[in-house]
Amino acid sequence: MSERQPRQAELAHLAGVIERLAGELALAEEPASFVAALEDGAAKAPEEDR
Amino acid sequence: MSERSLVTIAAAIRTRRMSPVEAVGSCLDRVRRLDKRMRAFIRLDESGALGAAKALEADAAAGRWQGPLHGVPVAFKDLCHLQGLPTSCGTKTAEYFTSSQECTAARRLLDAGAISLGKLNMTELAMGPYGDNAHHGDVDNPWRAGHCAGGSSSGSGAGVAAGFFLGALGTDTGGSIRLPAACCGIVGLKPTYGRVSRAGAMPLSWSMDHIGPMAWTVRDVAILLQVIAGRDRADETSSRHAVPDYLARLEEGVSGLRVGIPEGYFFQGVDAEIAAGVRQTGRLLEELGAHVSEVKVPDPQTILDIAMLITRSEASTLHARIARERPHELQPMVRARLEVGFGISAYDYLQALRLRARLTRSFIRDVFAEVDVLLTPTIPEPAPAREPLKALTADEFNVRAGNFSRLTRPFNAYGLPALSVPCGQSKLGLPLAFQLVGRPFDEALLLRVGHAYQEAASWHHQRPALG
Repeated sequence: MSERQPRQAELAHLAGVIERLAGELALAEEPASFVAALEDGAAKAPEEDR
Repeated sequence: MSERSLVTIAAAIRTRRMSPVEAVGSCLDRVRRLDKRMRAFIRLDESGALGAAKALEADAAAGRWQGPLHGVPVAFKDLCHLQGLPTSCGTKTAEYFTSSQECTAARRLLDAGAISLGKLNMTELAMGPYGDNAHHGDVDNPWRAGHCAGGSSSGSGAGVAAGFFLGALGTDTGGSIRLPAACCGIVGLKPTYGRVSRAGAMPLSWSMDHIGPMAWTVRDVAILLQVIAGRDRADETSSRHAVPDYLARLEEGVSGLRVGIPEGYFFQGVDAEIAAGVRQTGRLLEELGAHVSEVKVPDPQTILDIAMLITRSEASTLHARIARERPHELQPMVRARLEVGFGISAYDYLQALRLRARLTRSFIRDVFAEVDVLLTPTIPEPAPAREPLKALTADEFNVRAGNFSRLTRPFNAYGLPALSVPCGQSKLGLPLAFQLVGRPFDEALLLRVGHAYQEAASWHHQRPALG
């Protein structure tokens, strides 16, 4: 097996994961929702101004 | 000196039982004696440290106290940019990373009175969980020669454990603070994404990178976090979420807290001594008043795949120049990882970012409705011997490395705070460790639980026999 084969296999696997899951996403879901998820999931605290 | 914590040294300096020059001198003596074996430093800055110590000693004599870390020796992973010292990032190139901005976290520690002893060894480009480095030497495990120190913040972990300095900064993209902390028997905290500014530190993956403190005790880590946490205009991803007083509730104990142990993935294939150590930790927390139970969490494999896609894409984008122009300078396993990233499509990368947001929201909602903190192992096996790893091909090595970091990586993807605490020793005398994971920005609770455990179990009083 050449060194490139495991990398091709890894790429194919990762692309397959996206293919399987991406259909579940709503149109409005954006990457920035990640930070919002953290802020929303925290116990409430006032914002600071450092 | 080598058996004292950051808190005790800071107090000794404050009460004039020790001077900053004595503190630095004692640490430097130890480094000179032991670092040929440990290889914790890439660049020891003796003259800079002694100069700073003399200035702080004069300040103390005049009653001027710079902050809570006045005169305390620390050191920084060699991806933190500070004026006057090159930043190799563990590569062959002495000045691999330059920045117009000093590392905010490091600068905050120095402004609080800490003294930098220099820049610390690390895995090349912060890629790899074992602490091996072909250019600067493999960092040794202070508890057992020939074993890994863990990585990528290997010098930070080994240096604290060896008593070279009282605290250090590490960075964590997939476990790089928690893995060396676990391997070296010290405490390491990966804060919530955005809790600590990443400005002035070499990026590996801007979506997954975190900077955090490493030290002997949970209390030491709390003090360091207090100094470095908070909004920084130089890092737009740093959070405006208010920074609490991390020491205020440290002693409040764990009575009534809900601690969840996620069985399945987090214990599959885990070394028996580590699994026993974590379960014993659960029993001790129960004796201290916590409600400890098993809890189901979403299968981590999906978020791990998504995190892999994001990390590989961003790392290859950031480090494309060395990967394409000077690939021969990179270790084969680092080169192999970067090559994968070049093959990822923009479509897959952006979908991965969207999926990450959704999975994070549902993980927080579902898991923290059931428990206040999660308790898992940090590493699946005690620090392995280095030599057998060197016999592996680059791809075999990366598979093994992926397994070693599989318990920490999910929480980089979720951006959640995670604390590694030592919980015993293996039959070979290597540290065992557990990981606590909490809600976003709830570092204070993790520190409280970790501190309650340390006070009851007292493992932190044991030190490696280095002479």
